[in-house]
Amino acid sequence: MDAYLAPYAAKIKASFGQPLVQAPQGLYRGRRGEENLLGYWVADTMRAAAAKATGDPIPFAITNAGGLRANLRVGMLKVEDIYDVMPFENEVVIIQLTGSQIIQVVREGLLHEGGEPCSGVRAELSGTPGRTAFHVTWTDGKPIDPAATYRVATTDYLYEGGGRMRTLSRGRGLIRTGLTLRQVLLDRCAELAKAGQPLLPPAPGRYVIPPALQEALRERELHF
Amino acid sequence: MERRDFLATLGAAAAVSALPLRAADEAGASGRITLLHTNDTHSHIEPFGPGNGALSGRGGVARRATLIKRLRASVGSSLLLDAGDTFQGTPFFNMYKGRLDYRLMRMMGYEATTLGNHDFDNGVDMLVAAMESMERMNHPNAPFAFINCNFDFKGAPHLEKRMRPYMVREFPGMKVGITGVGVAFDGLVAPQNHLGVAWRDPYESLNPVVKHLREKEKVDLVVVLSHLGYQMDGPFDDLRLPAHVPGVDAVIGGHTHTFLDAPVRVPQAMGETLVFQVGWAGVNLGRMDFAVAHGEVRASGGLSMPVEA
Repeated sequence: MDAYLAPYAAKIKASFGQPLVQAPQGLYRGRRGEENLLGYWVADTMRAAAAKATGDPIPFAITNAGGLRANLRVGMLKVEDIYDVMPFENEVVIIQLTGSQIIQVVREGLLHEGGEPCSGVRAELSGTPGRTAFHVTWTDGKPIDPAATYRVATTDYLYEGGGRMRTLSRGRGLIRTGLTLRQVLLDRCAELAKAGQPLLPPAPGRYVIPPALQEALRERELHF
Repeated sequence: MERRDFLATLGAAAAVSALPLRAADEAGASGRITLLHTNDTHSHIEPFGPGNGALSGRGGVARRATLIKRLRASVGSSLLLDAGDTFQGTPFFNMYKGRLDYRLMRMMGYEATTLGNHDFDNGVDMLVAAMESMERMNHPNAPFAFINCNFDFKGAPHLEKRMRPYMVREFPGMKVGITGVGVAFDGLVAPQNHLGVAWRDPYESLNPVVKHLREKEKVDLVVVLSHLGYQMDGPFDDLRLPAHVPGVDAVIGGHTHTFLDAPVRVPQAMGETLVFQVGWAGVNLGRMDFAVAHGEVRASGGLSMPVEA
């Protein structure tokens, strides 16, 4: 069995050095409280992959910054760079959350981790460290219906209670896509390269936090 | 082999011959069988690397093959079965499109599997190509069977001719009937990936098959390979199945990646059903033992065995 497998495994190992796609600006995680553009790309990619896998729209995706273990530096990315970003076998899963649970997930990510990488929504903090207002809408500014149920893409790790966004574990109707997060990133890179396009970071603006509040958030002194 | 694995293997090997049959049964139509099984192996051909929590260092087909070989050498009659979702999960699937997974299963000596939702991930044609690749390989083991009774394959003739609703295997003193059911496609498999395949109510599909196996084929033991899931929000899952489909002795489950240490006994109209599932990724091998006499299960047991170095 080992002898039969060896050439198949060797071919996969050899693929680690293969060029994937150009990243002319790189994609970086940023410091705590700063916008995590690498994480935004990961969340966008998992959301699109979940929608493609099931044929249903997925309005929201969230992952955890702590699971992304490297930046993507400027230049031609290789397969192993994606393995460095995502060395874990975490799977993209789809759950159902109510609008108010989605808002709570974003809040938990902000309070505990300074804002976790997400896709589909825009969160804004305003006011002062003593009196902070928290507001979340869909990306286009439309309100999230707190009572409606939405499909959410995340990882099995977060759904199973890893990380500190505990409300994710309250998701219902679990669907396992069978796709590892790493695989959907690899697939997206290959798709861009095939289309002759570079990998560019998504635009910032998903977490809008005034500098004074950013400081308080980093020090975990905010309550909202 | 780790001590824990060795002890589990030894304990299980001892269990099958210890399953009691009445003295009167031993002389007549009676027999014992061991079902070895996996589910949701998801292209985990190599063991998990470090950094994967409790799964680190576990699994791998070479070790699974070794464990299977040793167990089959130490028990009497046996079947090696799988509950689906062989595909998707590692670069091995992306590069070899499930062909390698199915070929390895034939090399390990599987007799039958069913289809999970992820086995449709590359569409029906790629699924058929993987089946063909396994059937055409030159190997002393026979090709294994693909079993399902609740998908209507009429619109996908190349797949239909490779599927069967059930199969019967005869062993000394007993006959075993095996059927299979799959989870609904809706929201799990994109429509273009199951073109020509329609899902039907698994309980309604199973009942006539189980009846046929018992009454026409005269099997002594009925086994269902289920990719419905252990416990689901909806009406269809392995725990609810026995109440709707009496006459099933064993459900080899999958889909929910549920780690059970031993089969769960669910009472039903004709006795009880052993419902089992052993996690995923080939980190465990399941085992259920049955002692059967005159068409009835007289004793049964089972356990999950770790696949480790």
